[in-house]
Amino acid sequence: MKNNEISIYIHIPFCERKCDYCAFVSFCVNEKEEDKYIDYLTKEMENFKTSKVVKTIYIGGGTPSILSIENLKKIFYTLKSNFKIKKDAEITIEVNPNSLSEEKLFEYKNLGINRISIGVQSLNNDTLKKIGRLHNKDEAIKSIKLASKYFDNISADLIIGLENEKDVYKYAETLIELGVKHISAYMLEIHENTPIFEKFNSQKYLPLNEEEVANEYEKLVEYLEKKNFHQYEVSNFALSGYESRHNLNYWNFGEYIGFGISAHSYINGKRVANANTLKEYFNGVKFQDENNSKTEIEERIFLGLRCILGVDLKVLDKLGYKMQNNENYQMFVKKGILFEKGDRVYLNKKYYLVSDFVISHLL
Amino acid sequence: MSNLEHIRNFCIIAHIDHGKSTLADRLIELTGTVSKREMQEQILDSMELEREKGITIKLAPTRLIYDYNGEEYILNLIDTPGHVDFTYEVSRSLAACEGAILLVDASQGVEAQTLANTYLALDNNLETIPVINKIDLPSARVPEVKKEIEEVIGLDAENCPCISAKDGTNVEDVLKAIIEKIPAPKGDINGKLKCLIFDSHYDNFKGAICLIRVFDGQVKKGDKILMMQTKKVFEVTEVGIFVPNTKETEVLSAGDVGYLAGSIKTIQDVKVGDTITSAEEPTEEALAGYKEVQPVVFCGIFPVDGARYGELKDALDKLKLNDASLQFSAENSTALGYGFRCGFLGLLHLEIITERLEREFNLDIITTAPSVSYHVYKTSGDMLEISNPSNLPPQVEIERIEEPMVKVNVFTPPEYVGAIMDLCQDKRGVYKNMTYLDKRRVELNYDLPLGEIIYDFFDSLKSRTHGYASFDYEQKGYAPADLVRVDILLNGEKCDALSMIVHKDKAYNRGRELAERLKKIIPRQLFEVPIQACIGNKIIARETISALRKDVLAKCYGGDITRKRKLLEKQKEGKKRMRKIGSVEIPSEAFMSILKLNDEE
Repeated sequence: MKNNEISIYIHIPFCERKCDYCAFVSFCVNEKEEDKYIDYLTKEMENFKTSKVVKTIYIGGGTPSILSIENLKKIFYTLKSNFKIKKDAEITIEVNPNSLSEEKLFEYKNLGINRISIGVQSLNNDTLKKIGRLHNKDEAIKSIKLASKYFDNISADLIIGLENEKDVYKYAETLIELGVKHISAYMLEIHENTPIFEKFNSQKYLPLNEEEVANEYEKLVEYLEKKNFHQYEVSNFALSGYESRHNLNYWNFGEYIGFGISAHSYINGKRVANANTLKEYFNGVKFQDENNSKTEIEERIFLGLRCILGVDLKVLDKLGYKMQNNENYQMFVKKGILFEKGDRVYLNKKYYLVSDFVISHLL
Repeated sequence: MSNLEHIRNFCIIAHIDHGKSTLADRLIELTGTVSKREMQEQILDSMELEREKGITIKLAPTRLIYDYNGEEYILNLIDTPGHVDFTYEVSRSLAACEGAILLVDASQGVEAQTLANTYLALDNNLETIPVINKIDLPSARVPEVKKEIEEVIGLDAENCPCISAKDGTNVEDVLKAIIEKIPAPKGDINGKLKCLIFDSHYDNFKGAICLIRVFDGQVKKGDKILMMQTKKVFEVTEVGIFVPNTKETEVLSAGDVGYLAGSIKTIQDVKVGDTITSAEEPTEEALAGYKEVQPVVFCGIFPVDGARYGELKDALDKLKLNDASLQFSAENSTALGYGFRCGFLGLLHLEIITERLEREFNLDIITTAPSVSYHVYKTSGDMLEISNPSNLPPQVEIERIEEPMVKVNVFTPPEYVGAIMDLCQDKRGVYKNMTYLDKRRVELNYDLPLGEIIYDFFDSLKSRTHGYASFDYEQKGYAPADLVRVDILLNGEKCDALSMIVHKDKAYNRGRELAERLKKIIPRQLFEVPIQACIGNKIIARETISALRKDVLAKCYGGDITRKRKLLEKQKEGKKRMRKIGSVEIPSEAFMSILKLNDEE
């Protein structure tokens, strides 16, 4: 990790329709709002001065693919004129199958984007409809094929735990046949104040139970391993060389700047969050999170153990925590739940599914 | 100082909730002892807990001045607790009085403790005046209650005061009756000093304070006094009376009720029931004291955070200063670490102490299931008193075990007799007697093991009789019983704090229920955890907590790392309240779960 490198995250909070399970900051599109937002966003970027070199850029949302080409160009113009971007930088954009077109893909390529993350979620039409997605199976497949014309590095998202979804690994099979190089498989989390939460409470939506989710997850992990998609984090799988460098930077304690509403930054040892409402965001409201050696120890432990990076015990020691002296740590090592290699300690992948349990015993 | 003829010493006795403290309030108000401005409800219940629970725990004396037929009388009122756990406090205050007001609720009538307290008063040769309270209630049935008092208790109630302490109706009649009917104290002001210590408490500035009733002689500041039982000598630094707050006076004389301080450093030097006399001119004969109260219910108390053991000890020491009946000794549990085995007068006492530890001392504590004290006769001929189940010696060394028994009186409307008999049967009770007191009241007598009473007898009685039955008990020695210890193994390791001593016939059910309950309470761990209940080496029940499958929040999104860290921190905080047996984590509430077992389930 070089200290003079940095990542950039850009949040696009607009969607055609908010998915029923989504608890992120997003709103329905409206051209005027979009233009105003892009104005503020680019201004925010212009005001940020750094001599550091940008190694990854991630445009997430919301649904960045609904942005007009013109607005996307504005973002990239600002990026390029305000930051030094590495030649081989990884530049990702999140897209939804229904808002993708050949024309857009062509422009993405021209702007320098080299990684596409497609929100597939499921390849079952009933399931997609029930969670409020606007695309169907055929459109999802079509969008991947289309993206493949222009891009090699394609990632697809899947959700584990949706109602009736008992063979998610079969979707992975289709995706891999279509040439997808990276799969993120997130377990459904039901958050308050989402439509699905209401339906779940009134038993109108019946997601898989914990036991079933664990089964689905394990089946998927096993299948992906067979296909040489190695698991490099709890929810992320990739062919060798196609791991998301942007995400690895988060987990490796690398610096990043977040632009846009609700975006988070970690820079100069400080964690800062932008406001969650447009009004506050437009007023430049930012919140600084608690940050000290204790929080850094905790962050290093849980970020490192959730992925293949592991945790550097010497770094923890320097921060004032000798984890090896923790009796739970010793027990976990003895039972093969944790394993040490050199100065680092790693979580046995078999225990990724209970990583919060393990980690909370180490803090 | 005071003329004996113008003193009356009395207490108010009643079944719980019959309005004792309210009457005390009215008497205080009526005699102008406390100005209206200072008046607050239940003035003698000074503890926060007492007010909240509406019960009196400590004795509280107060001096009332009342003008009767142009003459001034001193009425010393000693408020007494109503709950069966504190019967001993009642009997103490009775010994300091010449008379008692027996307060009876006009709608409830005579209840178990009405009778029990009357017997106590009669034992102490007190003039007992029945008073019917709550006549303002629509459900009041004064004539019937008068009849009950006459027939059940045997006191003349024909012209007894019928009052409403709540709205003040006829309360003056009570004052008149006290003066007219209760005898003035007898005693010789010029005789050798003889005082009864009927209670004590600790004051940070003055040391131990004795609450006394002077029977003969006088005592004043500077006197050298002798505690006849402990043989300790002190110099009196202050004497005074309660109005109801302490007020220093020059002297206390025969017939008076008041307090005495003598730079007595520890409360242990003040034995309640002891006689104080003059060190220079001692009396030959001490007053009849009380038998020392022995705790009957025991439990372990441990700090949730082991590091706070010292704070827990300090807190118990402080509570002990004002509560001689609280006993505790250090205890070490493999499951719970360092803590204390504490002895109480009953479940309410236990509850009050644990609540005070939590509230007044801000301690998070774990209490183990209450137990009684068993007499274990070993084949070697030794007898052990065991109040902690895990100290029970191995079965082969035991010749027999005896458990404490109690005599139980239940008062109930006749329609619940069947249900109560079933309950007593279920609790291994032995039927003694049944008396129809009148059309609506039956008295049932049973002998029951105390261990069953402290288990859930009171709650069961309440639910089976919709709260219409009342009960009272007194200790009745020990009786042999077929008792065994049920142990709980978690992942093969014994959890000492979950052991219980139960009757052999109930061991299987209790063991199974406890294992089932623990399965519900103990969260899943990384490995499968077997829960076994066993007697000795014999497994009598088994449950399994399956291994945790999933505990991960999948998304660590967009660099929002703080949110995730906070979630994990919360999870970690939860762990702090857990105890470890081997590698199994147990939440603190699991240790109380034995209590919640229900035979009827």
